[in-house]
Amino acid sequence: MKSELPLLLISLGLLASGAAFQPTARHAEEQVVFGRDVMPILGQRCFKCHGPDVAQVAAGLRLDSFAGASKVIQPGFPEQSRLIERIAAHDPADRMPPANSGIKPLSSEQIETLRRWIKQGARYEKHWSFIPPQLPALPQVRDAKWPKNALDRFVLAKLEERGWKPEPEADRDTLALRAALSLTGLPPTPTELQAFRLDKLPGAYERYVDRLLAKPAYGEHQARFWMDAVRYGDTHGLQLDNERGIFPYRDWVVRAFNQDLPYSDFVTWQLAGDLVPQPTTEQLIATGYVRSNLTSAEGGAIEEEFLARNTFDRVDTTSTVMLGLTVACAKCHDHKYDPIKQSDYYGLYAFFNSTKDKPLDDNLTLPEPVVRAATPDQEAELAEMDRSLQALRDAVPAPDAIRFFEAHKPVVPEGRDWQVSPVYVRSSFEEAFDRAEAAEPGQGGDVSWKPLALEVGRDIPSVVGKDGASVYVRGTVRLQTARPITFGVSSDDGVKVWLNGKLIHSNKVTRGVGQGIDRVTGDFRAGDNELVLKIVNGAGPDGLNLRLFDRNDKRIEDAVAAYRKTPEPAALAELRAVFLELGPATTGATRYRKTLANRSELLASIPMSLIAQELPTPRETFILQRGQYDQRGDRVERGTPSAIGSLRANARLDRLGLAEWLTSPSNPLTARVFANRVWQQHFGVGVVKTAEDFGTQGEWPLNQPLLDYLAFAFRRHDWSVKKLNRLIVTSATFRQSSRITPSKLAQDPENRLNSRGPRYRLDAEVIRDKALFASGLLVEKLGGRGFKPYQPDGIWENASDPASATHFYVRDRGDVIYRRSLYLFWKRTAPPPAMLNLDAPLRDTCVVRRSTTNTPLQALTTQNETAYLEAARVMAQRLLTASGTDRDRLRRAFDLTLGRLPRPNEVTVLLKALARYRETYRADPADAKRMLDIGDAPQAKNLSTTEHAAWMIVCSTLMNTDEFLTMH
Amino acid sequence: MDPIREAELLMTRRQLFGRASLGLGTAALGRLLSAGGLGGIATLAQALEGQRQGIPGLPNFAPKAKRVIYLFMSGGPSQLDLWDYKPKLKELFNAELPDEIRRGQRITTMTSGQTRFPIAPSVYRFDKHDNGGDGVWVSELLPHTAGVVKELCVVKSMWTEAINHDPATTFIQTGSQLPGRPSMGAWLSYGLGSMNENLPTYVVLHSKVTSNKPNQAVYPRLWGTGFLPSEHQGVALRSQGDPVLFLKDPDGMSRETRRTMLDSLEALNQQALGEFGDPEIAARIKQYELAYRLQASVPELMDLSKESVETMELYGKDAREPGTFAANCLLARRMVERGVRFIQIFHRGWDLHSDLTTDIPTQAKDVDQGCAALITDLKRRGLLEDTLVVWAGEFGRTVYCQGPLTQTNYGRDHHPRAFTIWMAGGGVKPGLVYGQTDDFGYNIVDKDGAIIDPSASEFTPGAVHVHDLHATMLHQLGIDHTQLTYHFQGRDFRLTDVHGHVVKELLR
Repeated sequence: MKSELPLLLISLGLLASGAAFQPTARHAEEQVVFGRDVMPILGQRCFKCHGPDVAQVAAGLRLDSFAGASKVIQPGFPEQSRLIERIAAHDPADRMPPANSGIKPLSSEQIETLRRWIKQGARYEKHWSFIPPQLPALPQVRDAKWPKNALDRFVLAKLEERGWKPEPEADRDTLALRAALSLTGLPPTPTELQAFRLDKLPGAYERYVDRLLAKPAYGEHQARFWMDAVRYGDTHGLQLDNERGIFPYRDWVVRAFNQDLPYSDFVTWQLAGDLVPQPTTEQLIATGYVRSNLTSAEGGAIEEEFLARNTFDRVDTTSTVMLGLTVACAKCHDHKYDPIKQSDYYGLYAFFNSTKDKPLDDNLTLPEPVVRAATPDQEAELAEMDRSLQALRDAVPAPDAIRFFEAHKPVVPEGRDWQVSPVYVRSSFEEAFDRAEAAEPGQGGDVSWKPLALEVGRDIPSVVGKDGASVYVRGTVRLQTARPITFGVSSDDGVKVWLNGKLIHSNKVTRGVGQGIDRVTGDFRAGDNELVLKIVNGAGPDGLNLRLFDRNDKRIEDAVAAYRKTPEPAALAELRAVFLELGPATTGATRYRKTLANRSELLASIPMSLIAQELPTPRETFILQRGQYDQRGDRVERGTPSAIGSLRANARLDRLGLAEWLTSPSNPLTARVFANRVWQQHFGVGVVKTAEDFGTQGEWPLNQPLLDYLAFAFRRHDWSVKKLNRLIVTSATFRQSSRITPSKLAQDPENRLNSRGPRYRLDAEVIRDKALFASGLLVEKLGGRGFKPYQPDGIWENASDPASATHFYVRDRGDVIYRRSLYLFWKRTAPPPAMLNLDAPLRDTCVVRRSTTNTPLQALTTQNETAYLEAARVMAQRLLTASGTDRDRLRRAFDLTLGRLPRPNEVTVLLKALARYRETYRADPADAKRMLDIGDAPQAKNLSTTEHAAWMIVCSTLMNTDEFLTMH
Repeated sequence: MDPIREAELLMTRRQLFGRASLGLGTAALGRLLSAGGLGGIATLAQALEGQRQGIPGLPNFAPKAKRVIYLFMSGGPSQLDLWDYKPKLKELFNAELPDEIRRGQRITTMTSGQTRFPIAPSVYRFDKHDNGGDGVWVSELLPHTAGVVKELCVVKSMWTEAINHDPATTFIQTGSQLPGRPSMGAWLSYGLGSMNENLPTYVVLHSKVTSNKPNQAVYPRLWGTGFLPSEHQGVALRSQGDPVLFLKDPDGMSRETRRTMLDSLEALNQQALGEFGDPEIAARIKQYELAYRLQASVPELMDLSKESVETMELYGKDAREPGTFAANCLLARRMVERGVRFIQIFHRGWDLHSDLTTDIPTQAKDVDQGCAALITDLKRRGLLEDTLVVWAGEFGRTVYCQGPLTQTNYGRDHHPRAFTIWMAGGGVKPGLVYGQTDDFGYNIVDKDGAIIDPSASEFTPGAVHVHDLHATMLHQLGIDHTQLTYHFQGRDFRLTDVHGHVVKELLR
């Protein structure tokens, strides 16, 4: 009974979520549009058995092309077409779709549509979004004065078709606030507002918009949408959900938007920055995009399985973010509606399954590959330091160095006669570590030692070779004079060290050889010393690396030896460096050491970031049947779906080639999909509402010329995202008042025709940032590690394994907690609850369109969450420390929160409430005190607590108004 | 609800707000409907109603259950030590698991490196208890649950495909191993809507775990909404701090002061509604009122002081400590009485790879009395009949030992191919034991003992796949699982993906 096919259960889903406001051809004379009117019917009612999925075709009949359908269609003659006969059959036994298919029969309206389509010639047309956008003709409009740019012509033409008029332009203050929120996610500063208000010359608004576009806050706001799309998180997202180091990628996205990096480069660097010739640090950081998928290192996980999961995640995300297409269906079978074959899916998959990162993340913060993510400024600073170090080195005469080191020859001890004991297998790591085996010093066991080719500084892999087991390694170290020596031991996993029978080091740890060096110091005596090491393996691979000698002495010895052997430039440079670092403290040496220390300090301050790198040889790719990693089908090569654009002949078959395909003029989707999302960002709904689906089941664009114009202009302006934003925000369409008339509400409740200005509830992040802004607490600092804000106790602890490195929540203190919400530390299994309550996604899957709900939990959040209460308290302080009457203060309060002056009845309402609060708190000053005791921000001295508490509630009230929470 | 009817309702509300001028004519609506503007109306309606009343056409048929209490044992409880009695294993202590039983099936990399797969018989005594039918074997670890087996429908042939926690838990919670899909409770909130205005529709409770071993994380994705509107997500009721996040007004603010604040807020919002005519504003006014009500109804729910001594004793002394599994069971009953539709109680710590016999007694003790008390309590109040109770983990555990095996202790790895769950109430057959496994508790077998190879893509009688469990649960709620869909990214998504089969044999 179980069909493989996920389709045709349309009845309820469509109604609740699907394509709204689709005018269909209602009258016989109206032209039927294949993609808009016919394709959805065929797709939902017929394609299950007569569609592009070749494995499922029934009766050899395919209705997805004219060639196939001509068997049952007579163009121009619906009544002679078998298709109509069968779908309209009265006898259920004859009727299609068959009763037992689980698919509903066609409605009479749908049959009528098909009839008319056949009558009009039964033309099949390629789905609109798969045809590259052309510059559409500008439509004629009656009201030629209204449009401010071309977009407005497209919008107005649609309105005039219906006999509608746009709304008048919003007032200046409203516009100022709207544009600032829409572009930067923050209200304008008083200075910005003032400059705009005073600018009476034509073009004032455009100039204001340009100033907004130049603010760093612009890049931050744009980046926030991108973070949802790429499911950015500061943790791995699965199982232990430990921290991952990738915030430099987020900061790069902000920079890229602020520098207006062309979107084509923006896409290319993220997909393939590692593959461009001589990639810059910025380009490498950008590939954090590829690494943004969720990862795990769950005990028992099978690597192959997670390689497939990770790759699916990358393919699905890339396809949704860049192409607005859902290809995931083709993981298991040819797509039912869209021309994506299963082999197409795995062709895309093959681009992403050959990166160097391990499929399992080992729960590390920085699973390789990573890059030191220096900003351009930091890179310049490093280069400057390198230059001065170089200059100092060049000034050292090599003979001086040699002479000096000859005179101060270090004593380098030698190890010899290395031996290894038998392997002792125990039941667990614990036992193996704790148990004193026969080979242990002092046990006096009869042990058969075997020689071991131990070379100092070289990894010995698999010295134990078993799980829950240990071995002992011993050797002799000879010294001329007694002295303490520090040496290094790396081991996988635990290690103990004895010197002359005395335990001098013990580290019960599970780790890889490369994951740490224990520095061990022992008092070596003159003559022979016995050194014994115990290596204990928990599970999996193991190994040992003994770095016996003092590293400085060793370095000097090596440098001198190398230079003597061949005095080539590298050897010379090292000799000079060693001389400056470890030789006499001359002025030059002192400067050298200082610069070197500064350089290390700077380097240490530069975070590392996860990046993508390609394996030297790509992994083979096979179709995975039913998407199961262990069910391999045919082999496939890298390739792009043939129905969408075309891959240039001789294009590189790697991620760079993929990026080229995405951004090539032949690609019909990339520009449209992004332009649509920017429109959505400003108006709340895209021109295509289903921003995540431009396929045949997505919404037919209500105004395709508008979208195509946007896409065309976007490309024409070198993919400038700033220009695209500017185009939209300076349109007359955007500037309309957002008042809703009853008739427009009735006929276009979602404002799909843009007959009024945008109105939608602001995103969680914007609301929090606005509250901080109103209070003056907001700290505008770009970039850096995610911060941990106020948060109720137990959010992380209750949601995570105690073994997780992000189990205990320790909130940050100081200014950092007042940063913009973009920088919230995002633990993907327990994101900040105040954000989730206001519809922020979890970031465990790609989201290009948030839901906007209206719930009581949201009301509780903005009333009672600490950050909001603190903002209200500090804002009240702000009001009260300035002199003035209650009315003056209310005016200021409205200005700070709503960006406008209060209306008389609003003043009356709030003054009345204020009087009540005063009365209440005068009666119980202790309550006022308790009320004010919230948040870290210092309380202004000399304020009456009664007044302060009363005003705090007024401020909170304003922050809870619909107007505060809404773009309008 | 019929959109026209819904819109009429909105009009009434608008008149209530004195905005009759905004009235939306039924005729206009008719035009809109014929123009295909349903999404718009749905949004509008949703905005005004605040809380959705489910989707039209649901339930598809008369439901047997109105609500669900889902007791989720996170980590994978050992069916072999609790429910699936395998007496023959006693003889096979430390014997190798026969290849014809394991059949080369994949196992996790925690044990795939083991050179041996020695059989670890359960050390626990099992007794056969009268369940009104053929009887059911229950381990000594569950004495209280054993007392209510007459009400239970025990399924021994559950299976899943996932072998690691995160995928398996995500699967049983959302019907998909990969993140991004709505949880079952979210589906129900979306499909059936709310039954009350004072409490959330889908509530999640986390339980304290006595054992201090590391345990698997449970996180919002598991009660999330995926692509459904986020209002359908589960609301976690907490035993620490505010029971609902941000519920409590700040210290120093009285109820009267909050009322004053809300009244002034409403006045400002009414003004904006008049000015902008946006129905979302009306909806927002309502949400603030609902929030105010929640501030009273949640503490009332959490307050157990009015529960009788006898009831408290039924749930045991744990129930007096907030956040214990027993206390959560009692809260679940109170929520059932107050019209919460889907209640999920999480209990963690069942992932016993080693030292199983050290920890499983405390794990079982944590939940045993609460489970039994819940069944008894619901039954005597007449609520069990239309409340579906489900007890399940994300998978079971292996018969072979992980790590050292002794006569008294052992560990067990994850086992997806057969595990035990139980259901009660809500129209499932009481006193039933469904499905069986081979002598090793490893494979599902038919009545004659022949191994069944259940298929993920086809229903296999005798075996109950996760999708089948979901289909069956939805069926009891009056929902045809193929009809509860949401159109997203070009396809109609279901909780059961393209699978699932109602296991009629489990139903009354």
